[in-house]
Amino acid sequence: MKHTLIHLNSSPYSGLACKEGLDLALVFATFEQPVDLCLSGPALSLLTLNQNPTIEQGKNLHKLLAGLEFYDIENVFIERRHTWQEADNIWQGVQSLDTEQWQSMFSQYQQVFRF
Amino acid sequence: MQYTLLVTGSPYQSKACHTALRFIQAAMKKHPNSIRGVFFYEDAVLIGNQITQPPRDEINLTKAWQALAIEHDIPLYLCIAAAVRRGILNEDESRRYELEQHSLAEHFQLEGLGTLVDLMNSTNKIIQFR
Repeated sequence: MKHTLIHLNSSPYSGLACKEGLDLALVFATFEQPVDLCLSGPALSLLTLNQNPTIEQGKNLHKLLAGLEFYDIENVFIERRHTWQEADNIWQGVQSLDTEQWQSMFSQYQQVFRF
Repeated sequence: MQYTLLVTGSPYQSKACHTALRFIQAAMKKHPNSIRGVFFYEDAVLIGNQITQPPRDEINLTKAWQALAIEHDIPLYLCIAAAVRRGILNEDESRRYELEQHSLAEHFQLEGLGTLVDLMNSTNKIIQFR
């Protein structure tokens, strides 16, 4: 069985890519395909707590994070950065990787899809 | 070795659909049967809109994909959720939403993401064009 990494790099509020990447992860998990997530760039804003977007701004995708464990999606990776290490308003379910771990992570999967 | 292509880039904002098309044309010349299928997701589903009319001096990308599907018997799948939200509906979906029009081009079919999982598990590699 192929192990898949879904790499989210788009803002949850500037388009549908982030949502459709998450949808794909949930479908893979539903079909019992092992899948992990990693976030970088504008997609990191998904992690910020207390989001309250209006309907025009888009869906509150942050709410999906709490449900990931029910789909057996246990690994959500980010690259360790000073600002994110210190922030106390981000979702605590992520695993921070140093730059070397982050870079080697991508070669540990049979396939990586980017959104 | 058999490949599945996952195309996610918009036909209007990227060259993903163009590049994937050229990839298949090149692959088929050397290795017929090397492409198991093509799955369009995100804005790439717009490729399946039958009523788009590009200027006559530009490539008609939808027709190019249709010709490829016919010539090489390659299934072209559009993610149904991504397509319906973007106004690409087949006759069944059109009836379901009580609409009079449908807009899915011939030789494309609407499928769930589960079809991508099947393709993933029955081919050696998936290549994403974004």
